[in-house]
Formats: sequence, structure tokens, C-alpha cells
Amino acid sequence: MKVISYKKRITTALFAGLIGSTMLSGAIVAGENGHGPVKMIKVDAKKAALGKRLFFDVKLSGDSAISCATCHQPDKAFTDGLALSKAYPGSKGFRNTPTLMNAAVRKNWFHDGRIGTNLNDVTREMITEDYIMNMDMRMMQERIKQDPVYVKMFKEAGYGEPSNGSVRKAIPEFLKTLTSRNSDFDKGTMSAAAKRGYGLFNGKANCASCHSGANFTNDKPYNRGVPENPEIWADPMRHMTYVAFGTFMGIENIMNIRRDVGAHILTHKADGSDVGKFTTPTLRELKYTAPYMHNGMFKSLFEVVSFYNQGGGQDKNKDPNMKPLGLTFGEQQDLVAFLEALSGDVLNTGAHVWKDKIPSNYAAIKNWRAVKN
Amino acid sequence: MKNMKKLSTLLMGVVISAAAIGVAHAGSKVPPLVPLGDPPIPVDNKMSDAKTKLGKMLFWDPRLGGDASTACVTCHEPDQGWGFADALSRGYPGTVHWRNSQTVINSAYLKKQFWAGSAASNEKQAPSAAKGAVAGNGENDVMEARLAFIPEYRALFKEVFGTEWPLIADAWKAIAAFERTLIVKDTPVDKYLAGDKKALSAQQVRGMKLFNGKANCISCHNGALASDQKYYNLGVPTVERWNDDGLAQVTFRYEIYAKGVTQELYRKLKDDPGFYFRSKEKTDMGKFRTAPLRYTKFTAPYMHNGAFWDLKEVVEFYNAGGGQNDFTDGTISKNKTPLLKPLGLSEKEVDDLVAFLEGFSGEELRVEAPKLPDYAPLPNPATN
Repeated sequence: MKVISYKKRITTALFAGLIGSTMLSGAIVAGENGHGPVKMIKVDAKKAALGKRLFFDVKLSGDSAISCATCHQPDKAFTDGLALSKAYPGSKGFRNTPTLMNAAVRKNWFHDGRIGTNLNDVTREMITEDYIMNMDMRMMQERIKQDPVYVKMFKEAGYGEPSNGSVRKAIPEFLKTLTSRNSDFDKGTMSAAAKRGYGLFNGKANCASCHSGANFTNDKPYNRGVPENPEIWADPMRHMTYVAFGTFMGIENIMNIRRDVGAHILTHKADGSDVGKFTTPTLRELKYTAPYMHNGMFKSLFEVVSFYNQGGGQDKNKDPNMKPLGLTFGEQQDLVAFLEALSGDVLNTGAHVWKDKIPSNYAAIKNWRAVKN
Repeated sequence: MKNMKKLSTLLMGVVISAAAIGVAHAGSKVPPLVPLGDPPIPVDNKMSDAKTKLGKMLFWDPRLGGDASTACVTCHEPDQGWGFADALSRGYPGTVHWRNSQTVINSAYLKKQFWAGSAASNEKQAPSAAKGAVAGNGENDVMEARLAFIPEYRALFKEVFGTEWPLIADAWKAIAAFERTLIVKDTPVDKYLAGDKKALSAQQVRGMKLFNGKANCISCHNGALASDQKYYNLGVPTVERWNDDGLAQVTFRYEIYAKGVTQELYRKLKDDPGFYFRSKEKTDMGKFRTAPLRYTKFTAPYMHNGAFWDLKEVVEFYNAGGGQNDFTDGTISKNKTPLLKPLGLSEKEVDDLVAFLEGFSGEELRVEAPKLPDYAPLPNPATN
């Protein structure tokens, strides 16, 4: 059965590929399982530009030491190249920084999917969370109001006076511009190896059962038996950050557990069968986003593919669909070639990066006593 | 004539001050200055050596703050009078505070903490400071988690509070207990009031007479703390720095926004309305608690916003009948305390009064900074 459907899929893919290339040179290929280019999102240019400046401004963190871009760096497809993220000074992160590419098309956010509403809430969470940016948003508002460039930009964007609410709208508007583009997959310029890999992806390797849709994720959590990152428990500053998080999230027995419970924080099943689930990540821009998995345990895509080839890791809650795939070495290489073909343009030009210097000090408002606050 | 009458009453009061006879003043009785006794100890936070030892470490520990850079001691420095020797306290990184840092010395006696009395105890003051955006900017869950990763703290918290893991609320209790050891009560004024007539110089005794009489300081600076712990608008001039320092302007607006005022007031205010934040009565605009005069030799600058750099400036301010600000001149309100009138003190009298005020301070209290223990990984849960 499986083999048949695999062949069928391959045929469809090849067919689609043919059609694509006849329609337009370098045109986008329709894929299977909802795969295809991520649609560009129409944004309000002024709001997005404002969001871009805010994204790169350290004044949005409590002690003005870090900005969103500290961990979400454009050159690395808005990740940081670290296994575990940095976090706010005085804390250290316990998870891998996820890419922000295509964040706007996700159904939920964070490796545990703990926010399932919108990017406005995600923005609030990141700015105010004590181990992330630790910002009192009332202070943030007054900092922004002190900067004449912001006052002008907020006004021109139609937000009126700078406010917390508008910050939480403007940053998502910028995030909507971070859409993958010009990957070999999207352009229909995949190598032969990548094309073979795509066949495996939809067939024998069964990746597409979770990595579906234009963003190559179904946004659902699974337990794959990814090994714990021992550094979280060996480094007190990482472990304590997890404890602070877990205390807030109501994780049972937080002082005695030595594992990241993942999406359990959403479902809190008494039998713990939901422990260790993490949301399917996007597979776009992987060339720039190593290391991989929610805790950065794999350094290369080949490691990731090998992990799946052996049926994932060891965990009593492991998803039953995780089974050894029996891929040859060559097939694994093909799969990696395909995954790499899902990486497109690095968005590190002025269109997506605030290039002007943002003043780190605050000019005084002239004639202060006469000006309304 | 009126002054003469007061003076004679006061003289009598001084002579038999130990008997705590009230001083007649303007038709009401105010408690006389008396020697400072022991601080009250709350029944739910008894003192112990282990607790004050822990509290002292925590007082110095910047991990009780947002980015682990700002401890209690950061703005309450022992060599700066257990306050901060600038008009406005330094504030959390990326901010500046908007009020003067008060001394911790003898704070144990105060019924309310902070300039506008917003915390009801030392136990409540500590978290308010450690968590405020322009002070410690910490959050409970992060701070509590940090404590668990310091083995020495785990042991001390267990010994003192009996818990397996440190609780953040207990950290504030330990800090409060430590603060109750920061007492300075063996001052020349205390000794004099207790009967040692040589404890004050002749000049200081003259100053004391002015204090109780012509200068009328006693009407508010009375009792053992030399403070009635009530709130007054003296017309202390506003903070100059707000005119030309962007960082300070940010904090000013943050404070009035965060503490909560009407939209209309948020737009208009250019000075700190103080006790108004607590009562929301317009007549309380610009009021701040009468500062205790003890330990003031070491706590310059003075007033809620550090407007004055030495005690002489303070006395001259009162000699002029106080000052003007937005809450006295009608800009926002017009509620300067009627107690302040030009005093007509001569220069010599001003000096006498300053000399007396210095008698409230005694020896500077300095302690050695504690050694702070490091983080360590948690022991394996199977073996702990």
C-alpha cells in the first residue's frame, strides 16, 4: 500500500514539476501535501517599517541590553546559531531559537505551541517574559515616546501616539514580511538529488505526514524521542530558567524533573503521556538555522535525517508513527539535498533589517514643562 | 511674645524630656523628642542570627533583581549613608529613578516605607523595590528559581524557614530582619535626652531650643524618630534634571503612568504628586512623609528628590518659609502646608540648628560586605 501510494505521489510530483516548468521559466512548482510557495502577505509598509525598527531596538528590553534581533538574527534566517538561546542577562535559555521566517502563517508559536492566538500575543509574551526581554511595557511605552523618530513613525503609520498596543501590532506587521522566497523548491530548480529526496519525503520517509503545507509543518506537537540536552540540567543558569518557566506554567514536581516536558504544559495529562511533545518545525531556511530540534541537539541535517531513519529516539511516549525508515545512505543524502532546496533568500538587506543607527540614549524633550506629556 | 511662650514651654520640655511631656504648640500637642528605643519586631517575623545572616547576604545579592546586576545595596550603599549619594537614585540599568534613595538605617521603626508610605513594612518594601522597573526589575519566579540553585541559600532557608526550597516571600522576610539590625540610636541627641547634658555642645543645645521653639521643627519632626510620619507639601522645588535629561523624563512619565493618574493629569503633571498616588485626594498633591532626622549627617542629598545638598541648605529652605512647586503655586494645586512660615532665623541661629541636627547622627554604621555563594547544579533528585 505504502509503496503504491509512494509511486503515485512521485508521479504527481513529477507531473506537477513538468507543468510548472512549462508555465514559466523558474516558476513555482506545485507540490504534494499542500507543499508550495509560501504566499507573500500584503502589509502596510509604514506599519511594517515601524515594526522593523522596533525589532532591532534594544530599548524594548528591561535593561536595554537586547533586542528581538539579538536572538533572531537576519543572517541566520532569524535564529542565532546556538543550540540553546541566550535569554535575558542573568538568565540562560533552555530551548533553541526558532526561525521567524513564515511565522505569520503558523497556527501556534513556540516549540510547545503555548500561544495559539496571534503574533500580537507572541510579541507581548517575548517582550514581557522575565527571562526573555523582561520589559515592563509601561516603561517601554515611555521610552518610545521619548524618541522623535518613533513619534513620527507611529503617527505616519496611523497609530497616533506611541503605545504598547501599537507596538504589539507593528512588530507582527514586520514579521509578516518575513516570507520565504526563491528556494530551489519554489523556483523549480531542484537538483536531481533534491528531487529524489522530495520523492522520499512524501513517500518512503513519510516526512510529509507532519511536514505538510506551504510552510512544511502541520503545527502539531509530537514526541519523537529527541534526546534531552544535558546542558540544561548541568548549567544552573539554564536549569533555573527552566524552573522559573515551569513554576509559572504549573509543571508538577518541577524541582525534581530533569526533562523538558514540552507541550504537556498545554494539556497537563495526569499520566504524563503528553510529556515530551514538541511542535513540528518548519523546514524552510534550514541551511541557515542549525543546530536543529527544540533543544539544538543535532548539528547537521544529516544527523536529523539519520535520527528519523532510525525511527527517532528512546521515549516511552514516542509517537507510534515513528518507525525505522530503512533509508540507504544515498537516500538520506538525497533527503538532505531536498531539505536544503527549501532554503531561499537570506533577508538581510534594508528591506528586512533596520540599517540606521538607533540611538541608545534619550534626547531631552525641549521646553519640557510647557509640553504636554 | 508667642515665640517666647513656646520657648519657655519647650525649655521645660527639654529639661524633663525623659518624662515625655507633650509640647504645647499652636493649640495642639506634639510628642517631644525622646531617645530611640528598640525597633518593633513583628510577631510573624521574629529575629534570629541565621535569619539576619541570610538577610544580609540577600541584601547584597544582585540575583534578587531582573538581570542580576542590581541588589538592595546597589541603591542603599553603606558608605553613602545606606542610601545613594545623588539627588535621584541610580535606578535599574537603562533607567534612572525618580526619587532620592532613603537610608535603610532605622527604617525598622517606620510604620510605612517609601516617601509616600506605599509599603506597610520592611517585608513589603523589599519586593516592591526588587520588582519595580526603575529599581530591581525582578520577577518572583526567576528570583525564586535562582535562590534554589545556590546551595548555601538552600541550607540557610531550610534552617531559618523550614522549607525544602527557598521561597521568595521568605527572602523578603530575611532582608527585613537584617534591616532591623541596622539601628543607630546611641547618638549625641539620644544621650542628651537620656540625661547626659555633656553630650551636646552649647551650640547644639541652642539649636535644640530653636528646633523646639522659634524654628518650630518639632511640630512635625517629633517623637523618637524626629518624624511624625505624616505627609506634607513643603514646596520643595521640582527636579531640575527633568528639564534637560531625556532618561529622567522617561522615568517621570513611566511613574505617573504606572502609579495611575487620570489621562488629564498624565498630560499635565511635571512634578511628583507624592502622597496623592495613595489617597487620590487633590489636597494631597505634592505631599511626602516627614523625613526622620536621624543619621542625616551621612545621607545627603536631602528631601524626596534630593533638592538640597547639605543640611544648611535644608534649614535655609525652612527659614525662608519653604518653597514653591506645581502643587503650591496653583499650576496643579495649591496646598502648601500652612505650618511653613518664614522663621526669621539669623545666620548664627541657622548654624546652631544645623549643629543640633548633626547631633542626630552619631557613629557611621559600616559593615563588611558578605561573601556571596555561587550557583551550583542541583543534586540528582534521586539522592537529595
